Amino acid sequence: MRTYLPWIYLALAFGFIYLPVCVLVLFSFQDGGLPVPPFDGPSLKWYREVLSDRDVTDALIHSLLVAIGSSAVAVILGFLAAYGLARHTLPGSAFIRLLLVAPLTVSYLIVGLGLLIVLSRAGFGLSLGTAGIGHVVINLPLAFAIIYASMGAQHENAERAARDLGASEMRVVVLVTAPMLAPAIAAAFFLSVTLSWDEFIIAFLLTRFDITLPVEIWSMLRSGLSPRLNAIGSVVFLISVAAVLILEFTTLRRRRS
Amino acid sequence: MIGQTKKMGWGFTAPALLWTLTFFVAPFLVMGAMSFAILEGRNLIWGFHLDNYIELATRPYLWRAVIASIEITLTVTLISVVLAYPLAATIAFRVPRHLQRLVLLLAILPFWTSYVVRSYAWLLVLAREGVLNQTLINLGLIAEPITLANTRFATVTGFVHFFVMLLTLTIYANLVQLSPNYRRAAMDLGANAFQTFRHVILPLTLPGIVTGAFLTFVLCIGDYVTPHVLGGNNELTMPQVIMVQLGRRADFPLASALAIVMMGMVTIAYLAAARWLRLDRV
Amino acid sequence: MTASVLLEGINHWFGSFQALNNISLEIKAGEYVTLLGPSGCGKTTLLSVLGGFIKPTNGKVRIGNNDMTFVPPSQRPTTTMFQDYALFPHMNLRDNVGFGLRMAGIGKAERHKKADEKLDLVGLVADGNKRPHELSGGQRQRVALARALAVNPDVLLLDEPLGALDLKLRRSMQDELKVIQRQVGTTFVHVTHDQEEAMAIADRIVVMNSGQIEDVGPPSQVYNQPATLFTADFMGEMNHIPAQINKGKASTNLGTLPAQDMPDGAATLCIRPETIHADGTGLSLGTARVKNVTFFGAYIRVILTSDENPGLTLLAHLPPGDMPKEGSKIPLSVDANALRFYPECC
Repeated sequence: MRTYLPWIYLALAFGFIYLPVCVLVLFSFQDGGLPVPPFDGPSLKWYREVLSDRDVTDALIHSLLVAIGSSAVAVILGFLAAYGLARHTLPGSAFIRLLLVAPLTVSYLIVGLGLLIVLSRAGFGLSLGTAGIGHVVINLPLAFAIIYASMGAQHENAERAARDLGASEMRVVVLVTAPMLAPAIAAAFFLSVTLSWDEFIIAFLLTRFDITLPVEIWSMLRSGLSPRLNAIGSVVFLISVAAVLILEFTTLRRRRS
Repeated sequence: MIGQTKKMGWGFTAPALLWTLTFFVAPFLVMGAMSFAILEGRNLIWGFHLDNYIELATRPYLWRAVIASIEITLTVTLISVVLAYPLAATIAFRVPRHLQRLVLLLAILPFWTSYVVRSYAWLLVLAREGVLNQTLINLGLIAEPITLANTRFATVTGFVHFFVMLLTLTIYANLVQLSPNYRRAAMDLGANAFQTFRHVILPLTLPGIVTGAFLTFVLCIGDYVTPHVLGGNNELTMPQVIMVQLGRRADFPLASALAIVMMGMVTIAYLAAARWLRLDRV
Repeated sequence: MTASVLLEGINHWFGSFQALNNISLEIKAGEYVTLLGPSGCGKTTLLSVLGGFIKPTNGKVRIGNNDMTFVPPSQRPTTTMFQDYALFPHMNLRDNVGFGLRMAGIGKAERHKKADEKLDLVGLVADGNKRPHELSGGQRQRVALARALAVNPDVLLLDEPLGALDLKLRRSMQDELKVIQRQVGTTFVHVTHDQEEAMAIADRIVVMNSGQIEDVGPPSQVYNQPATLFTADFMGEMNHIPAQINKGKASTNLGTLPAQDMPDGAATLCIRPETIHADGTGLSLGTARVKNVTFFGAYIRVILTSDENPGLTLLAHLPPGDMPKEGSKIPLSVDANALRFYPECC
């Protein structure tokens, strides 16, 4: 009996972890009006309804724009900063590194609140752009940390070799450093997109008319329980899982070769 | 050459630094200053007023939220660590090596449901007409549905669900980089499974646990979504109270003061965690 | 304490890969035995079987006179010294060494006393309060030894214990291990891939290859009279000369040489470089031209091509003295008892 205890625990834990997801997906196929038992036969009507909803599809596109845009900015700034700090000796570099990583330790709510105060006092309107700014603030530390940690001695030697052969520093960065760090850059980008895509509170605080998907789902939530939410939730889940699995299998394949 | 190095170095680092200073540090400082301002009608008056902090300490609506946040966060952290550790340990030590990555991925897959959606899903499970109540009634264990949603219990459950996944990931990463020879050596010298855990594995993984617990604390105390979806209106947490100040009255000063207090609690948690880690090293 | 070890017909498979093939071995109580072989030969697997970390697919393990095949490591009278030492980083040396005693339920005062005794044995009793990370590699190795001996095992298993040390330290640790083993009298089973190390410390060497035992015996026997071609090659540098044996005489490209009691047919003749003379005594191997000369201190290493068979390269270790010039011709000879034949048939 004792040897089975870990496996029983594993099964119970998995049960707890998957309970809400299973309920979510199951009742997205609900035929009736409420996403609660009893379950009336599978129906795709809620999927049809939610995917033809203009607000939802717009929000989805907005989310992608903000995610990709802010991640691109975060990764570029993070990469340049990582290069600058790793390859040049600057005064107080330890302090600079600390400063760049600091936003990781602060609650997203506070980041959003601070920006909201400044932007509204300065008279700037709220938009996808302001939400994007907030997302860069939270993703820049991650991108910087990931890329900085990947800059190793072997990269430095390759760069020195390129300089030796006559390349200017900018060319070295673009033609040698960046490609060598491609895995770290890709990982940072992917992580940023994932976090931005799902991020709620900063997007909520810093958008007005054009909103992202999590904010759209939130306003749908305010109007009560409905299988519409199950449907859109399941769609979001499916997209995210597919992305993760694709990443897993492409990196796995690379590793095997 | 050194002078040129410095200039180039600044050239690369400046953009990121400027962004951080402009959009993180500056707003943070403004928020700090704002916490000492007061709102009179629609006019904002700067200065050094302690009104907001005093209001926080004296108005029950506010300090109850602070206490609720601390209680909930500590409960969630404790339960999540206790539930996640055995799960991470089972995956790290019992699951065959080549399957570990897959099992781990499966264990944290629900991470990728949208955060808002996940809290909503728990609402479905815990509602009076929801799956849990219906199952209990069908099994004959209860006659009437119990109120589970819109309670602290629901908030804690929603949090624990998320943080168990997060902590399983971090604790697993910690366990797996432990040399298998530590366990073998302990067993070789006569320790049974429990003794091996107590004297060797636990002390060696404690730093990782403390770090994970701190991360849980920070994320939990600042979260708005889960308490708002699952907690109901009888008890509010700090993030919810902050959002209320922003909503109706646009009371930035009070909201800022609350945010500063929340940061203070995070700082205390950080100092506690850092002290624990340093003690451990000695 | 000490005990004998008996391995009977041990076979072990990892999936479809056979790691151990019918291993049978008897080790006397108090012996210092090394398991010697290249990586992948199964020596570490065999050590794990002895330690109880692996249950063999079939076969029996007896320690003392008891069947221990399925007894787990915590209840087996063996302790293992791991390759990475596995000292508990969060405990000081005294607590590390006393760990096994603590698990056995021994009280703090007595535990500390016994731990200090063992630390004294390895010369580190003054550092009892230090943590492993404050020590050098060699010191950590000694603490690992003290910890393993503290529980008075019957058999001590050492998994390439000296691999991480530099040459000089390795040599001095080899001597120390031997001295300590004599002192405590425990049976030591020591895994290594270094044949010099094996010869330096072992009472008997067990040469392994591809999961099988190639040869067992005291260092001098395994070196001078290797039982198999593999052993001959592994134990040191060797000359290989193809030979055809007919009625006790071997015809080779260097002439006819005696090969009594050897079966007829093709065989490989092995001659150790240090048994080849340039002074004309013994059986003649013809003349050879010097290709390369290197001074090795205790001997002169000479690579030569045989005049009788220009395709055959010979290696000789000549006694220190005048170094032969490159291109010069030297007559080579060897004593009859230095000839080892390995017939192809068996």
